Amino acid sequence: MAKQKLKFAFYWAASCGGCEIAVLDINEKILDVVQVADIVFWPVAMDIKYKDVENMPDKYIDVCFFNGGIRNSEQEHMAKLLRQKSKILVAYGACAHLGGVPGLANLHNKKEIFEKVYVQTFSTHNPNGVFPQPKVQVKEGVLEIPEFYDTVRTLDQTVEVDYYVPGCPPAVERTVFALEAIAKGELPPKGSVLAPLKSVCDECAKKKENKKISRIYRVYEKTPDPERCLLEQGIICMGPATRGGCGARCLKADMPCTGCGGPCPNAPEQGAAMISALASILGLEEEKEKYTEEEVEKLIDQIKDPVGTFYMYGLPASILRRKVMRS
Amino acid sequence: MSETQKDFEPKIVGFLCNWCAYAGADLAGVSRIQYPPNIRVIRVMCSGRIDPAFILEALKNGADGVLVAGCHLPSDCHYLSGNFKALRRVMLLKKVLKDFGIEPERVRLEWVSASEGDKFAAVVRDMVEQIKKLGPNPLKMEAKK
Amino acid sequence: MANGKVGAVLVVGGGVAGIQAALDLADSGFKVYMVDESPSIGGVMAQLDKTFPTNDCSMCILAPKLVAAGRHPNISLITNSEVLGLSGEAGNFEVKIRKRSRYINEEKCNGCGLCAQKCPVEAIDTYNKGLTDRSAVYVEFPQAVPLRYKIDREKCIGCKTCQEVCKANAVEYDQKDSEITLKVGAVILAPGFEPFDARLKSEYGYGRYANVVTSIEFERILSASGPYGGIVLRPSDGEIPRKIAFVQCVGSRDAQLGNLYCSAACCMYSIKEAIIAKEHVPTKLDCTIFYMDIRAYGKEFDAYYKRAQEEYGIRFVRSRVASITEDPATGNLFVHYVGEDETPRVEEFDMVVLSTGMQPPKNVEKLAKALGIKLNKYKFCETGAFTPLETSKPGVFVCGAFSSPKDIPESVAQASGAAAKAMAIIAPERGKLVAVKEYPPERDVSQEEPRIGVFICHCGINIGGIVRVPEVVEYAKTLPNVVYAEDNLYTCSDDTQKRIREKIKEYNLNRVVVASCTPRTHEPLFRETVREAGLNPYLFEMANIRDQCSWVHMHEPDAATEKAKDLVRSVVAKARLLKPLKNPTVNVTPAALVIGGGVAGMTAALELANQGFEVHLVEREKELGGHLRKIYYLLEGEDPQDHLQKLVKAVMENRLIHVYLGAEVVEVSGFVGNFKSKIRLNNGEEKQVEHGVVIVATGAVEYKPKEYLYGVDPRVLTQHELEEKIAKGRFNARKVVMIQCVGARNEERPNCARICCGQAIKNALKIKELDPDAEVYILYKDVRSYGFKEEYYREAANKGVIFINYSDDRKPKVSNEGGKLKVSFYEPVLKQEIQIQPDIVVLSAATIPNPDNKRIAEMLKVPLTKDGFFLEAHMKLRPVDFQTDGVFLCGMAHSPKYIDESIAQACAAAARAATILSKKVLEMEGIVAKVDEDLCSGCKICESLCPYGAIEMLEKEGKTVAHVIEALCKGCGVCGTACPTKAIVLGHFTTEEILAQVRAIMREMEVAAK
Repeated sequence: MAKQKLKFAFYWAASCGGCEIAVLDINEKILDVVQVADIVFWPVAMDIKYKDVENMPDKYIDVCFFNGGIRNSEQEHMAKLLRQKSKILVAYGACAHLGGVPGLANLHNKKEIFEKVYVQTFSTHNPNGVFPQPKVQVKEGVLEIPEFYDTVRTLDQTVEVDYYVPGCPPAVERTVFALEAIAKGELPPKGSVLAPLKSVCDECAKKKENKKISRIYRVYEKTPDPERCLLEQGIICMGPATRGGCGARCLKADMPCTGCGGPCPNAPEQGAAMISALASILGLEEEKEKYTEEEVEKLIDQIKDPVGTFYMYGLPASILRRKVMRS
Repeated sequence: MSETQKDFEPKIVGFLCNWCAYAGADLAGVSRIQYPPNIRVIRVMCSGRIDPAFILEALKNGADGVLVAGCHLPSDCHYLSGNFKALRRVMLLKKVLKDFGIEPERVRLEWVSASEGDKFAAVVRDMVEQIKKLGPNPLKMEAKK
Repeated sequence: MANGKVGAVLVVGGGVAGIQAALDLADSGFKVYMVDESPSIGGVMAQLDKTFPTNDCSMCILAPKLVAAGRHPNISLITNSEVLGLSGEAGNFEVKIRKRSRYINEEKCNGCGLCAQKCPVEAIDTYNKGLTDRSAVYVEFPQAVPLRYKIDREKCIGCKTCQEVCKANAVEYDQKDSEITLKVGAVILAPGFEPFDARLKSEYGYGRYANVVTSIEFERILSASGPYGGIVLRPSDGEIPRKIAFVQCVGSRDAQLGNLYCSAACCMYSIKEAIIAKEHVPTKLDCTIFYMDIRAYGKEFDAYYKRAQEEYGIRFVRSRVASITEDPATGNLFVHYVGEDETPRVEEFDMVVLSTGMQPPKNVEKLAKALGIKLNKYKFCETGAFTPLETSKPGVFVCGAFSSPKDIPESVAQASGAAAKAMAIIAPERGKLVAVKEYPPERDVSQEEPRIGVFICHCGINIGGIVRVPEVVEYAKTLPNVVYAEDNLYTCSDDTQKRIREKIKEYNLNRVVVASCTPRTHEPLFRETVREAGLNPYLFEMANIRDQCSWVHMHEPDAATEKAKDLVRSVVAKARLLKPLKNPTVNVTPAALVIGGGVAGMTAALELANQGFEVHLVEREKELGGHLRKIYYLLEGEDPQDHLQKLVKAVMENRLIHVYLGAEVVEVSGFVGNFKSKIRLNNGEEKQVEHGVVIVATGAVEYKPKEYLYGVDPRVLTQHELEEKIAKGRFNARKVVMIQCVGARNEERPNCARICCGQAIKNALKIKELDPDAEVYILYKDVRSYGFKEEYYREAANKGVIFINYSDDRKPKVSNEGGKLKVSFYEPVLKQEIQIQPDIVVLSAATIPNPDNKRIAEMLKVPLTKDGFFLEAHMKLRPVDFQTDGVFLCGMAHSPKYIDESIAQACAAAARAATILSKKVLEMEGIVAKVDEDLCSGCKICESLCPYGAIEMLEKEGKTVAHVIEALCKGCGVCGTACPTKAIVLGHFTTEEILAQVRAIMREMEVAAK
């Protein structure tokens, strides 16, 4: 029976582009996709203008895979537009899902970032302090570029999102899972993250003995025993607080999980969950853990760049979302 | 600023363990020790139950300060070492808060025993003073923007 | 009462010992009447600030026990009362009690305290030892149990103000004393002690000089709830002292007063007070302790003593203080003493603390007469070395300081031990006099929308006088899911309980909130009420608008009212999410495994068998007896070998006790109530046994010295070897040198081995008995003959045994010079090196942990101390429990101790075990952690954290998941808070519930969304 083909769209907002490649990483499966779907919008691969999208009827697109967070007016516009034109909007990848690495910009604001990029970087020569302006009057008329925002937002902080595919970028099996579910019409309830419920630990083959640590090592400081859980060896691994579905692929390469899968379903504050877990076991090694407050301070001080560690992908999705700026 | 420093009355959320700190607050009551009415107490069985997420949630919802109080170190904890867990969690969280631009002093960890009614009152008094100096929770101001 | 026995016990005295005995009895199915002369229970421990050697807050650890005793359905508190007489016999006594009038109706008074607030009279506060005032109508201290007021008619002026203000109509000026008669099967005496009246030691000026205080007064001064709020101040002028002297042995070790005994606890409490004082005084404080011997003989005590010297810089001066005089101009005190160089000295201090000893309780002769028991010459209760818990009258037992001065853990151990003794007498009556309550079937509310009823208490005018309660009621009605709200004069009163039950029916409520006082005291009452109305008891929540609102914001009614609304809103938000919880239950195998067949293990086994429980007793050696086999005589004169034989016979003949000799426990699995263990028998076979509890009684061993030529020269012996020589008639030396603290109190083993001083004195006296002209020298660091053992020290000195002190930097030397033994040491009085050529040298070798402890500790998952002895659950209040439920310890496995102490602990372990074995089913607290296996990813973080070993990792469908052993979970929530996926949820304190409270608190006004 000739079933009508689905209409897919892909879009790339505030992200690195890795998610676009991730779509292609499914290799020959892409052919299956083309069997069931037509791609009606994909700026990185096809020449279709925003105007063309605007002209589509509402809900014309069956599924839109949206990667990247929202940090300027253009991205916000497209998020709203694609929401309007799509039956299903999928936040694809960590940036759309949680803000992603670009979300760490929330430790600064527009002013600070512009200062850094347009004045302070070594390669920049900008004696007049020229900064990008959203609107500039030139001879030919008004030139417009998107407005840069103070805060990076996740896709669902901008528009309603139907499904999430986690990962930076999403693992092949996640993408395949999503596509198959769509193709078969077997999608879970709206709002679901298309990944297993358990954390990365569940998929990690490393041996777990006991989680009692007192010394923290950064990755370059130690060659870990490849057989044993990295966290137990003092290397901070976000795996315990990170939703699995990636096959623990970083761990297979003996690198700790950095948390791109986002939070587990019952612990929506991924950073806080790991802060609590790590602080709980840090210092357990000693007899009865009876440290003085000063000693505890030293233990804690071993953790460098805590926000970068605990919120590498999830700062905009965290409870506090961003740094408070005083200016 | 809509609230001037002068008439700013901080709102403080207090997480108190049942066996020591909450008992200390009770003793402050029984002894009629007066302290400012700025604190709202949530009882947990052990300071080891206090999740950093609770503190973040309180701050996000506009608490100007959060008090975490448990049994004295090293050995008063009714559950042996829950207080040590609280200590490490709060210390790590405070470090993170600093990076979030929130004054770590807004979150205060205290050890109050069941016989320290006066200490509980003094802690609240002191905390209210200190937070008045710090001003309202910046997140609240941001939300109003 | 088939055999005429009564399943009830009378406990006389409501201090920590009495409370422990009462709780153990009540928890194992007996009715308890607890009589105390004071209006409330708690005893001396309630007055202490901190406790040694852990510096735990005394009230913090005692208060839960007070509350437990106060609300235990099997314990009746008869306070403000005295025992008049006892008739009948063991198993069936009749006891007459006089209840002195409180002038306040105990049934009606709800402890709100308004009367005391309005009372115009200032009376002496005995709790604070007269350092502050209280009113004529009073409770002794704020945490008093029962919290019922009393009128001090000596001070009362009869103004009737209290009667007017009492909303409960509890004041009865014309109340009379009354007499009651009770039937009990056994009696336990725990009347405690009376601190020595320091006035009798007039040369120290107590009572004349304001700045000379007793140690109990100083405890109050240190306490945050004391007269100066925990700031150390001098009574004369309120100045912060900079120099404090502690004078030891005031009223103890004093021939002049006739108090020859040592009070056993004062050295340690003075060290503690000095440490705490230094912590409390913000400026520099010098503390000096004047002592004769520092008797830090208990578990981990020497380590504490060492810290006091090294960490806190407390100065110790070995000298008996001669007198104290005062400089009337400054209130400062001059302490006159003879220095260690034998020259008289005077030193000025700002304050002096007298370490007063323990005396028998007041009116002890009257009590002894009423009960028909014998007292010893100091008027303490008479007991025997093998019967430390028995009085001269069968069926009447004793514990705590009444039988000899002792500290808290020993009193607690004796208390449990006495409970075991009482249980054995009336074992068949177990469960017959205790009420079993029937509840209506529980309503299933899982499909219902929350329907919350809110009850708000005026507490007389305690709340209502400040907080506008009706306004809070109206506010509560606007909150989502609240379908009913009302105010009550006293929500805790009986008629309100009835009303709450009616309203639950009428409005089909499925959640109840009470806004009143503290859940710490009142939550159990209200949970009971909702349970009686067919609701799960956990569908209840409380807001504390008295202790946290009206009482602490008395001058801010508006703010207090707003705060009350916030607190009610927060608690209603939680109530909305409350879920019913089931109390987990476990079946109990009524049998015990006792590891170790020495005196402790055998005693514990017999005590349990006497109560009808099966026992598996495992001994590694080929015969029973352990250490006791090497003891041939005692200081007190009784015959240990005779006792040993009787004990072994009793054990071997008891059909409930299975003895395994030459056997070893090789595996223990399971948990409280349900253990399965493997015993490797002497023929190499393994036998599996099932049991509900484990008692560890693995004993200890004598240190084999490496020093002082031991093992090199056959004339160098240990005390045990000497004892054997004497007992077997092979002793013939005429000149003996004994060296104390061999293998103890050194770098490797910092703690005291406790029994060697007594052993040395015992053997020295025996030598003198054999040959009065024999020369015996004892080289010691401190002579630690605590309690009544002090007498024998004195006797030895009188008989010519020469005691010479040595210090660590000048240890004695033993050498062999041309075939002759030579001991050289420094004589501190003569200030010179002395050499002796003794016939033999006897080393007081330490008692050290059984080397097998480590293996057993790992097998049972229980901890050891740094020294290698087993570490109990709490050094003060749980001396024979482990943190792991169902596992107990006793005897020298705990630390070195004398036989009577081992026996008391063994009985204690049996009583504690009986609280479990006496139940068919153990019901646990419903607030426990639960694992959602769909979310648990097997990271094992929780397993590493749980201090109770309540988390095990299970393999399920090829995956590792955590599992909570509910029987072991205490509900602290540490695991779930650490759980990075939040797969672990703590019932009644779920993340959702707490976050709902946080959000509700911070919401200015919640819009009614009904």
